[in-house]
Amino acid sequence: MKTFALDVETYSQQNFTKIIKKFLFYISLVVIIFLSVYFIIILDTDWHRIGSGDSILKQLSYFVGLDLSLVQYLIIPTFETFLMACLGTMLGLFLSLPVAWLGARNVTPFGMLSFGFARFLMTISRSVHEIIWALIFVGAVGLGALPGILALAFRSVGFISKIISETIEGADKKPIEAIRAAGGSGFDVMYYGIIPQILPTVIGTIIFEWDINIRRSAIMGLVGAGGLGLAFFRQMQMSNYPGVTTVIMFIFILIIIGEIFSHFLRKKIH
Amino acid sequence: MKNTYQNNGAKKFIKVSLFFFIIYLCFFYLNIDFERFFSALGRFGALIVNRYYPVDIHYVFETGYLKSILNSVQMGYLGLIIGVIVASLLSYFAAANITPSKKIAYPIAKFLIIFARSIHETIWTILFVTIVGFGMLAGVMALTMYCIGFFGKLFSEELENVNMKLVETVRSNGANEMQVFAFGVWPQVKTAFTGILIYTWDVCFRASTIIGFFGAGGMGWYLKRNVLQLEYARTSAIIVSIIILVIFSETLSAYMRNKIQKETQ
Repeated sequence: MKTFALDVETYSQQNFTKIIKKFLFYISLVVIIFLSVYFIIILDTDWHRIGSGDSILKQLSYFVGLDLSLVQYLIIPTFETFLMACLGTMLGLFLSLPVAWLGARNVTPFGMLSFGFARFLMTISRSVHEIIWALIFVGAVGLGALPGILALAFRSVGFISKIISETIEGADKKPIEAIRAAGGSGFDVMYYGIIPQILPTVIGTIIFEWDINIRRSAIMGLVGAGGLGLAFFRQMQMSNYPGVTTVIMFIFILIIIGEIFSHFLRKKIH
Repeated sequence: MKNTYQNNGAKKFIKVSLFFFIIYLCFFYLNIDFERFFSALGRFGALIVNRYYPVDIHYVFETGYLKSILNSVQMGYLGLIIGVIVASLLSYFAAANITPSKKIAYPIAKFLIIFARSIHETIWTILFVTIVGFGMLAGVMALTMYCIGFFGKLFSEELENVNMKLVETVRSNGANEMQVFAFGVWPQVKTAFTGILIYTWDVCFRASTIIGFFGAGGMGWYLKRNVLQLEYARTSAIIVSIIILVIFSETLSAYMRNKIQKETQ
């Protein structure tokens, strides 16, 4: 009986400390909210610039309406944005194949060395934002669609190669062993043993990434690559706010089309 | 037998050459110089080595920059909190199986989530900067829109996958809409909610490091300033610090999601 009572006591004590810990955790979260509101919103904002509610409504009313005279100039940038996303995804796939090969634990050629190197490349590619990639490539190859394509490709490498290498690691080993036992070379193992197994996942990943890349390619123009982002930037600089709304509508339509397309393609694969 | 095999090979050859021809047409249409394309990697390497390489690491430890890191974190946190509150409400209406009114609220909520998601966070930043002026308020608003899109999509999909039998059981016992949600739906999605919340925080922080580039405060503003001043050593230091912070937040979020998953199992 005594041990039982002790157990209950320690249990309730543990429970008590747990509740205290949880309580402190939530309290600290709320305190951080108040501190952030104070430093970020109250201190940093130029309240004079915002003025009253009326002036915000007035600012918003500039954006109402469409500038239809712009439509004929937007069709080509829309197509460019679309092509940029397609080519960027394709180039990203080509670049990510060797990285995925190095980054899969079971097929990597030089053990821990190449595995670590590939993982490092993947992390770098995913942590650097597409705007930064675009900035670097605009510096490297000049203005135009090319830096956009390269930036999208380098940004996609991390995600695509991570998924591919994880799929390779999870692939069924029996066909690989069979090909090796029949005297197949490393290339044969890759071509007949692994690629047929990972193909559905790879195609699904590429469609997913292509969908995201359309979204990203629409902003490449902000830092000097072409497409709809450049049109947006120009309209913004000219303070032609109805034109800005028109460009955003074009971006929205392009992304919706891409989303519908990728939805049906993914359904077809499954 | 041999004939069909050869035929197959010819077909494959035609397909591959057509593929490359289309890519060539795309390049031609986009006016891309092939010589520039193939030398891009070399140019990239040369740029990194010549200009970005001596990283001015001391710049990162200056108080102004350290404060901007704190500002970015706070901005991401506030955007996350407001965005998640709005997005939870929206995704309740945007989940096809539990929405209270399928004709009116469902399409509106779905449209809002898709719209918030379609527009990139940088474009949101530019729009809010024109409305409320430079500063971190615009950044918080842009991140809110970003979180609504990101969290709303993931969470409404999660809500659509709940087991409807349990929900119907609660409803058939006479519970109202609030009680159905609290006792039928919420226990099923609680873990997923926390997981998505942490993931959204990670993504939101990543976005908050860059939106300063377009006029919201934080680290992005320092990046923009140094890019415009052609201070390559400082720019590379900032990029390196962003990479390290993003890796740190990614590791932290992965660790926390794993822990929560283990606790509930």
